[in-house]
Amino acid sequence: MIYLIEDIINGILMGSIYGLTALGLTVIFGVLKVINFAHGSLLMVGMYVAYWIITATGIHPYIALFIAAPIMFFFGYYLQDIIIKPIFKAEKNVREPITVIIVTTGLWYILDNLTLLIFGPQYRSIQDNALKGAMLEIGEIFISVPKLCGAITAVITALAIYLFFQKTKTGRAVRATSIDRETASLMGINQYKIYNIAFGIGTAAAGIAAVTLVPFYNIFPTVGVLFDIKGFIIVVLGGLGSILGAMLGGIIIGLIESVGPQFMSSTWTEAIVYGLFLLVLFIKPSGLFGIKQDW
Amino acid sequence: MIEKKSIKFLFAAVLAFMLAFGISAPLKAEDTTVKIGNIIPLSGPSASLGEQGKYAREMAVKEINDAGGIKSLGGAKLEMAYADSESKPEKGVSEAERLINTEKVNILTGCWNSAVTYPVTAVAEKYGTPFVVPVSVSDKITEQGFKTVFRIAAKDSWWTRDQFAFLKDMEKEFNGPVKKLAFVYENGDWGQGFAQQWKKLAEKGGYEVVLDEPYPSSATDLSPVVQKIKRSGAEVLMLVSNAADAILLTNTLADYKVKLKAIIASGGGHADPSFIKATGNNALKYFDIVEWETDINKPGAKEANEKYNKLYKQNLTGEAVDAYLAVYVIKDALERAGSLEPAKIKEALAATSLKDGPGMIVGYPSVEFDETGQNKNAALVMIQINDIGNGPERISVWPKEARRKGYTPVFPMK
Repeated sequence: MIYLIEDIINGILMGSIYGLTALGLTVIFGVLKVINFAHGSLLMVGMYVAYWIITATGIHPYIALFIAAPIMFFFGYYLQDIIIKPIFKAEKNVREPITVIIVTTGLWYILDNLTLLIFGPQYRSIQDNALKGAMLEIGEIFISVPKLCGAITAVITALAIYLFFQKTKTGRAVRATSIDRETASLMGINQYKIYNIAFGIGTAAAGIAAVTLVPFYNIFPTVGVLFDIKGFIIVVLGGLGSILGAMLGGIIIGLIESVGPQFMSSTWTEAIVYGLFLLVLFIKPSGLFGIKQDW
Repeated sequence: MIEKKSIKFLFAAVLAFMLAFGISAPLKAEDTTVKIGNIIPLSGPSASLGEQGKYAREMAVKEINDAGGIKSLGGAKLEMAYADSESKPEKGVSEAERLINTEKVNILTGCWNSAVTYPVTAVAEKYGTPFVVPVSVSDKITEQGFKTVFRIAAKDSWWTRDQFAFLKDMEKEFNGPVKKLAFVYENGDWGQGFAQQWKKLAEKGGYEVVLDEPYPSSATDLSPVVQKIKRSGAEVLMLVSNAADAILLTNTLADYKVKLKAIIASGGGHADPSFIKATGNNALKYFDIVEWETDINKPGAKEANEKYNKLYKQNLTGEAVDAYLAVYVIKDALERAGSLEPAKIKEALAATSLKDGPGMIVGYPSVEFDETGQNKNAALVMIQINDIGNGPERISVWPKEARRKGYTPVFPMK
């Protein structure tokens, strides 16, 4: 019983972090209507940014968050503005621009391979950070402190993005664009600026996820791919475009991964995750919390 | 005006001279090259290991070419063609087809991942291209009756056999009997192969297997696996891991304060140069089985490692040494074949008996292939990662005659 509690706690914590890694993906899809295949690579870039900030200055990983997140926001903002926007403009009349998806795939390969060229294939981890290996021991239950901090950050980030979209003028403009981009344009909203902002927010969310991961995870050029696949499953499970869906989808995956192995081999949990993914696509393609509307 | 013209003339003259020189140069000795195709993982999860293989090959090729190439072929130079397998079997097969048919390579080497090497052996056999496998340990690679495959590294049944022999010796030497074993391994070809052997050996040795856990190498969280190890009550943990998961597993085991008598790894990720750096003190007292270690007592080994370290800023590993040796085995065979005829090269490879030369920095006395193409002398060394004042390092401990002077292994580890 105590084991089960321990596993459920770990599953929820790790799952929230998975949700956080998928948050940017769901935000970008919600607004741009484009599946960003480079999302894992953005996460990877965020991990390297966090790595260099923390190792160069020796500051606490969560202080680095306040430097890494803005850097990532502007990285995403200009990535969209300079590279993706021209493609959007060329496909102005298409509802779901396929070419943009291909461009993001190209970005994924370029970012991963550039990192491989510049930093080499070595695995890095931040040896002396305040959170490394920290554990809360409550009786027999072990709770990883970096994961706990990551999960709290995930909830705060999701809440902040939600409130931003609900309460601010820019946020409302983003939502208007996501619901109907033509009408929003007619109302005087600069569609492409909104895209830049949405992409920036999505990238910053990936950056925040990256910072929560570096205290306990290792960093290497293809690290994004591992989280990328998981991210796609999470957003489809939770409903593309839904912030709440991404968080809950993440927690569901986290629970399967954490509790599952106690009853079967870990290889099977992966099969279950993919099986669930297919099942959702068959039964409820809009996802558990997705809105049934014409995207 | 005149000046400009004369400059132009001078330029033309230099150009003409260069052209003439350039054209006449290849007409001399170096008109033949031996093309070697190398399929290794240069990107993807094993990129770090593929890169070591590439560096080692390049160092050997440069040494051979600088020393005058293959003398029996009129000083022919070795030319390397690299192909990236991305650790994917289908990519390896298509690259092998391309290297053989388009690039017209004379010899193939690779592919590090057993899962890639295995299907590539069939391609090499189909075209009759000699295929030198420096390190891919799956038994079945040399057990298909193929005549083109030659493997330098020990096969995995030898690795597992030696892991258990080592464990028995440790129990005896330190009078600490072990009963319960846990097997945790990546769920690919390599891990599954090891685990199958382990189960047989455990039964034979009278051990109790309390955990048998394959896990996906792409796992982003290994704490569920670590929990299983902890709850199983295992005394000795045996591992097969790729690099990223080896690091994650080691750090997570330390986080959860799992107490074990010994952890015995199987090279691969645990032998990756970034493993020690990325795990710090968490990897102390780990045992790892390898083919080669920098403190090996063999002439030339220290110098080769210094040179490699100067060039590529890392130490040689078992994988790199096998790749380095493979190029010298090919050179030796080519010298004796005196021809680029595939059948001749195969014949020469089969008759290999390489005892000395720069490539022979391995622990065993000579490279000789048995009728299946397996290097029958390949032997293994057990090391322990420990800090004896110079930061964490890998120290040879087994077999006893290979043990570093003055070092006593730590067993049980805690």
